[in-house]
Amino acid sequence: MADFTGASTGGVSTIVTDHAALISACAAGEKQALKTLMKAEGGRMLGVARRMLRRSDLAEDAVQDALVLVWRRAHQFDASRGSAKGWLYTILRNRCLTMLRQEDREVATEADQIEATSQEAVLTAAFDGLETTTGLRQCLERLDGATRQAILSSYVLGHSHGEIAGRLDAPLGTIKARVRRGLLKLRECLS
Amino acid sequence: MTDRSLDTLIDEVVLGLASDADIARVEALADSDPEVAKRLEQARQTFAPLDDTAEVLPLPEGFWERIDARLEASEAGGTVIPLAEARARRIPWRSTALGAIAATLLMAVVLGTTLMSERDPLVVAVLLDAGGEPVALIESGVDNTTRVTLLERPDVPADQVMQVWTKPDEDGPPVSLGLLTGGRSRTLTIEGLPAPNSRQLYEITAEPAGGSPTNLPTGPILGVGLAKEPVI
Repeated sequence: MADFTGASTGGVSTIVTDHAALISACAAGEKQALKTLMKAEGGRMLGVARRMLRRSDLAEDAVQDALVLVWRRAHQFDASRGSAKGWLYTILRNRCLTMLRQEDREVATEADQIEATSQEAVLTAAFDGLETTTGLRQCLERLDGATRQAILSSYVLGHSHGEIAGRLDAPLGTIKARVRRGLLKLRECLS
Repeated sequence: MTDRSLDTLIDEVVLGLASDADIARVEALADSDPEVAKRLEQARQTFAPLDDTAEVLPLPEGFWERIDARLEASEAGGTVIPLAEARARRIPWRSTALGAIAATLLMAVVLGTTLMSERDPLVVAVLLDAGGEPVALIESGVDNTTRVTLLERPDVPADQVMQVWTKPDEDGPPVSLGLLTGGRSRTLTIEGLPAPNSRQLYEITAEPAGGSPTNLPTGPILGVGLAKEPVI
């Protein structure tokens, strides 16, 4: 998935990215570790940011910001509390969400108009991209279409309750309740 | 909070649907309760496969060089404290929870001062110390006239002075708003800055008499906080 080759033995290259070790090395001030992390995850991070921010320039900014934050916060990372990759993507997603919520409405609206149709396609691609064996996919499949759409568009596109309500042309309270019921069903299904 | 509502809240945080206050609440809970931390991590792992469905896009030319330049820039200042980071590092999790409480407690103060002032402030920030205690109230107008109300008698050595800073640009350098000579509340004025925005960072550091020699914060942070727009 990435062009970072962790080790190469006897012509067999093993692609291993030890995210936790790289983050620890960042905490120790090793810039090369951040560069390795960027090479391993940067492309995927850019894809995640692009889906949410819909503009490549903003997505690049978000990934840059996230990696600088990873560097600065590396000492806070605690491997006993969660996965390193999760930590990395949480930083990225939070950065994207902040940018989305701060984004000039005019620009956002314009981008919405340009890409309104493709957002459905993005959601479909995200859902189809989930391996059929994952619990998330199996459980999302059991939800009704609108609820699944709402949950996916919050995570994948970074949409707020308000934006989801707008897109589905439903009252805000209805959407909030629907998402909550959907999340409850998902948890029950996954447990 | 019931288990079910906490689980829902955790899911909403992970999805990006939760309010800033709820995010702070969940993070504070997770920091103090390993069980909540586990549930938060579990929720993240549940949705993480969706990250892997994103396309892997090529990084543009010079991407690393741009990141490297930013790392260099923050190191070049030597003792310069990256403000947002310093805030995260120096103030433990409970500041966010306490911040919410402090903000509520201070509502009376905020309301009182805003109602009394001739011109309503554009933004208000409550600055918290490393223990999460509110130490100062910042109110700034559209022209960056900044009223700084100290809420605690400062514990600053005689040869030092309190200096007030803000970051008009989140990613830019901090800018000095002025000194609180004599450790007293003051109204500071500055020209040439854009109108303050919500989430703009304000902080007070202890600096050598006369102010920071580098014109960037060098001393310990006495209080730090993000601005919010008051409801008027």
